[in-house]
Amino acid sequence: MTSSAVPASQSPAGEPRGKPLGWSSARRVGSRVPRSIWPLIAFLVLFVIGGLIRPNLITVDSLIGTATFAIILSIASFGQTIAVIQAGIDLSVPNTIAFSALTFLGLVGPLGPAGAFSAALVAGAVIGLLNGVVISKLGLTPIVTTIAMNGLLFGVILLVFNFSELTAIPEFILAITSAKISVLGLETAAVLPLGLALMAVLQLVLSFTGWGRSLFVVGSAAEAARLGGLPVDRIRIGGYVLSGVLAAFAGVVIVGYYQQASATMGASYLLSSVAAVVVGGASIFGGRGSVVGTVGGALVLAQVSTLVAVLNLGANIQQLIYGVIILLVISLYGRRANN
Amino acid sequence: MSVAAPARLPRSAGITRLRREGAIAPITAFAVFFLVYVIINPELLTRFQLQTASNLVVPLALVALGQLLVVLVGGIDISIGAIMSLCNVVFATQLEHVPVPLAILLAIGVGLACGLFNGLLVAYGGLPAIAVTLASAFIFGSLAREVLDRPGGGITKAIYLATSGELLPYLPVSLVWLSVVAVLLWLLLQRTALGRHIYGVGSNMESVRAAGLDARLTKLLAFGLAGMVTSLGAMMLAASTVTGDPRSGDAYLLSSIAAVALAGAAFTGGRGSIIGTVLAACTLGLIGNLLFFAGVNSYWQYVISALIIFTVVGLPVVWGKVAFAVKGRRP
Repeated sequence: MTSSAVPASQSPAGEPRGKPLGWSSARRVGSRVPRSIWPLIAFLVLFVIGGLIRPNLITVDSLIGTATFAIILSIASFGQTIAVIQAGIDLSVPNTIAFSALTFLGLVGPLGPAGAFSAALVAGAVIGLLNGVVISKLGLTPIVTTIAMNGLLFGVILLVFNFSELTAIPEFILAITSAKISVLGLETAAVLPLGLALMAVLQLVLSFTGWGRSLFVVGSAAEAARLGGLPVDRIRIGGYVLSGVLAAFAGVVIVGYYQQASATMGASYLLSSVAAVVVGGASIFGGRGSVVGTVGGALVLAQVSTLVAVLNLGANIQQLIYGVIILLVISLYGRRANN
Repeated sequence: MSVAAPARLPRSAGITRLRREGAIAPITAFAVFFLVYVIINPELLTRFQLQTASNLVVPLALVALGQLLVVLVGGIDISIGAIMSLCNVVFATQLEHVPVPLAILLAIGVGLACGLFNGLLVAYGGLPAIAVTLASAFIFGSLAREVLDRPGGGITKAIYLATSGELLPYLPVSLVWLSVVAVLLWLLLQRTALGRHIYGVGSNMESVRAAGLDARLTKLLAFGLAGMVTSLGAMMLAASTVTGDPRSGDAYLLSSIAAVALAGAAFTGGRGSIIGTVLAACTLGLIGNLLFFAGVNSYWQYVISALIIFTVVGLPVVWGKVAFAVKGRRP
């Protein structure tokens, strides 16, 4: 307890140093660069490497293709980002995605597209609320709570939905996801600008609102925040509600883009959503992370999968490279947070 | 603080220890569950059903024990499903080429190697366990599909009988194997220095280090041991289903963590018991069966498992809060 006061006092900016230039100052400059920049730089490097291997990969179409794949993973990982920032984790993302997607398709008949869309988001909010209440009021670990919630949702999905009826996908959703639109003369799927807009809004909320900042405080020092008079439980529950709503939104987007829904449609996002967040530079211990970084992380993973597809290496090698990338990223900045 | 009390009260020492390790709740839960099960389906106590039920439960119990070892040193293993898949396919494919004992040793060796890989990065690399094992989940999973990309392998009837048949009437072999592993692990954790260090590292890393013990080596060994125990679960699964399957471990990632949670283990480390974990795995593993015999749609098993976890893990917390509130009001 007493030793934790020491590191805080040893970082005044004007401290005189023996060596004014060199590696240490370069590192200090490096540490001032926002972390969310690095995955974007890594993506550009991978993009250029791809171009060196296959020159026809350096085209706007190829960039948009990779970005579209990345933005869908990003949308599915935004909720995870919020959960990780506040020192939690949301392993109920997969079945929240499936549950909201199926809720949307099931209710679109009686309620209409807008009503069903709202219902799906409300479902996500309720899931997040339950997660948040159990974690902060009952004191269960986030991992255990969200795993149990994920299982619970799987059961509900299998019990409630009649899969043979869920085929019609309304125009409204297609229009905001898979429809081709033209932005500044570029042909792209509508989900790309939608995802980027969502990223901008979320980043503004995280960076510039009191509630957004309080998520980081709760994530890095919950006890200090409590002593400082912040309503830690309420902030945390709010974070999980937002996480649930975002996962639910991802469910509707994925249904619109891939035009199919099933009970296991979210399964692949269990690990890949955490992977995108970690590669995006967030600390798995909380208090650090950004949605821009998550998009960068997803871009890196998507570019790897493009390269693997072009070189015809197979999906196994892609997974192997994902694992190596995560190891590289955490060895670059996972250590400081530990002890 | 935990040394003096059990020494003075030798008869209640076991109970005290179980209570400290959080095992009372899962043991009670299992007792209630087992009673309900036998009332609804007395047929459980027939030879065939005992055998099927234990074949269903034993792989989960073994993998949960692996997860428990990692949780005891304050870690968590996201790659445990992938380790299981990898050992499963290594075992199944090697049976086509080498004698059975060698195939078993190879599978255990692979599990050990996977565990040591995680353990090295966590203990000596100083990296967070959850992130390391997330990465290795991708790596081990892809290796498993490289070894065998679709269900198959050379598991024979003899291997099925040796792992999943009956030793004596009413005594399934798989339960015997589980008991052997559980007892050996219990002896290791409770009766050897390494075992006590594993609990110590999880409950207070700094004190262990200050006492001059090698905390990092202890962590590394716990991960390695966890990999070995997981490989045993993988082989039991491969043998009882008579196939090797590169995706067979996927479902065990979440259910092994659920079982350890239900066992009352602390995810900060240092608390958790073998018996609690085994019984928690039995409870979670048999819910689907129970519902089937009760004539309920077996999809309810996912909902009920979650509710059991919330109840068993959450109830003591609520109880503690209520007790605290009541005590706090006294002058």
